[in-house]
Amino acid sequence: MKIMKFTFALLLCAVLSSCSSDDDMEDLAGQTGDLVIKFDNGVGDQDFIFQTSYNKSNGESFKLETLKYIISNIRFKDDEGNVFMYPSEKNVFIVNEADGNNAGEIWVTLEDIDAANYTEVTFGIGIDQDRFALGADGQGDFLTEAENEGMLWSWATGFKFIRFDGTYSTSTVTDEGLNLHMGSVGTALDNYKETILSLPNTVLVRNEKTPEIHIKADILKAFESVTSVNFADGYDQVHVDAVETPVIAANVATMFSVHHVHND
Amino acid sequence: MKKEILVIIGLILWSCSKSSEEVAYVPVPMEVEIPTNFPDIVYNLDNNPVTEAGFELGKQLFYEGKLSANDAIPCAFCHEQAFAFTHHEHTVSHGLNDGVGRRNAQPIQNLAYQSEFMWDGAATHLDLQPVIPITSEVEMGETLSNVISKLNADLYYQGQFDKAFEDGEINSENMLKALSQFMIMMISSNSKYDKYVRNEEGGTLSTQELDGLESFKAKCTSCHATDLFTDQSYRNNGLSINPKLNDKGRFNIFENPDDLYKFKVPSLRNVEKSKPYMHDGRFLTLEAVLEFYDSGLVDNGNVDPVFERVDGSLGITLSDYEKESIIAFLKTLTDYEFLNDDRFAEF
Repeated sequence: MKIMKFTFALLLCAVLSSCSSDDDMEDLAGQTGDLVIKFDNGVGDQDFIFQTSYNKSNGESFKLETLKYIISNIRFKDDEGNVFMYPSEKNVFIVNEADGNNAGEIWVTLEDIDAANYTEVTFGIGIDQDRFALGADGQGDFLTEAENEGMLWSWATGFKFIRFDGTYSTSTVTDEGLNLHMGSVGTALDNYKETILSLPNTVLVRNEKTPEIHIKADILKAFESVTSVNFADGYDQVHVDAVETPVIAANVATMFSVHHVHND
Repeated sequence: MKKEILVIIGLILWSCSKSSEEVAYVPVPMEVEIPTNFPDIVYNLDNNPVTEAGFELGKQLFYEGKLSANDAIPCAFCHEQAFAFTHHEHTVSHGLNDGVGRRNAQPIQNLAYQSEFMWDGAATHLDLQPVIPITSEVEMGETLSNVISKLNADLYYQGQFDKAFEDGEINSENMLKALSQFMIMMISSNSKYDKYVRNEEGGTLSTQELDGLESFKAKCTSCHATDLFTDQSYRNNGLSINPKLNDKGRFNIFENPDDLYKFKVPSLRNVEKSKPYMHDGRFLTLEAVLEFYDSGLVDNGNVDPVFERVDGSLGITLSDYEKESIIAFLKTLTDYEFLNDDRFAEF
């Protein structure tokens, strides 16, 4: 019923707007707008809360006190197939659960996006080889930011793409240390992954509009998605291992989904 | 040409509203439903009898953006009918200037049968409850005096307060009374379960739903009591503390250590439609809720003794079938007549 009325209202709007602007299409050239991506971490059908125990399907459980990951190379595809890449020097972010608001959302605000009707978002988890190869060049404050956030290794240069710290329990051990500090290892082991998400409805970026994309990240999938892993088998400490890190990286790339979009 | 037509329509509308301005106070009483399976009504209707004009005014106010600082956040922003008057799937709600609250928006139903409101019981009279969201900086961010001056400047309200109240005053007393009249009428009592207990047509429960009802009576009704499905008490149910919010619940009212982490036992009516669950919305499904009661409680220092098992551990032991059937039973509390009732709908 309500939908009917909504549809009618929309129709009416469409009729009215077509009346008022029958001579020109909307001109987006030169227009830019802002866009907010909200990252919202969860575990299966629960919201993520620090120091709360979550069960894996194999009977193991875990609690975290740190939950961070790096997101980079955010880009959007519009309804005509054009891709807008956010400027490289600004296009890297640390998503830290501790920075979340009361709803547990970490907001990434992107400025001066070309106005368009976007239908797809793509981003990377971690730092790609090209950016890494630049060294300090063009990274601005990100090296400092990464250091402050504990996302920079100093014993061997590189970034931690993913950082989970906490404890895990199994049927035989209780509250053992759980630490995932993993990234790529130099150029030999590339763990940078990208995820492509289509948007449930079109995101309208305009001069005066700041749409929001609400992305959910299911942390459980880091441990059980493409490959299910057991903490008891060594996945309680994942750092530079050539076998373990690609498994977690592939799992993490499946964590993300778009829950909904708010057009302003 | 088109503009002229619009002007004419505008004139017609204006003349309509002008002619109806003259109408004075004519109280047409509305009957407040007292379902036979409900406990006694708490709200004192003698002080605020529900009338058609008062109800209509209350509904208009419920959907009125002017109650907020930016004129865009009505009560209904966080209380949407399709979601049993909650904020669709939000863990906690957001409001003015993207402010984010600390708690999950509660359903609006059967409030005339309850004596205290909000998760911590901060409101002890239904008339005064709306003051909290209207003045909260992260919700509607307004002041009562400013709302009243905005309503005073509005032609509709100038006429409607006259019709709804004898003194016709646009003041906070009458505004809050009108909101109460609207909320008093929001009674959800026609779910499949209600028809079952009242032996009415359409009240046939399946075997699994009946099994669920039995398990529910055995394991849940010490708190979710009566056909309101709450004993209206405040309890600490052993949720892990969210360090980000560190919401101490009822403790914030009296600073009594016995109240630490206690929250009001929520009604379970329309629970299928009011997800997510708990005061902070941490559980996104009913399955997650029952899993929690079975195996997720933690000793946060003040857990209600009702959860203590014989062996000293905390929780309510539930088999897989019990969980499944309790959820099937809970879904019989969905009241589609209420959720689709045009009397409460915005459009």
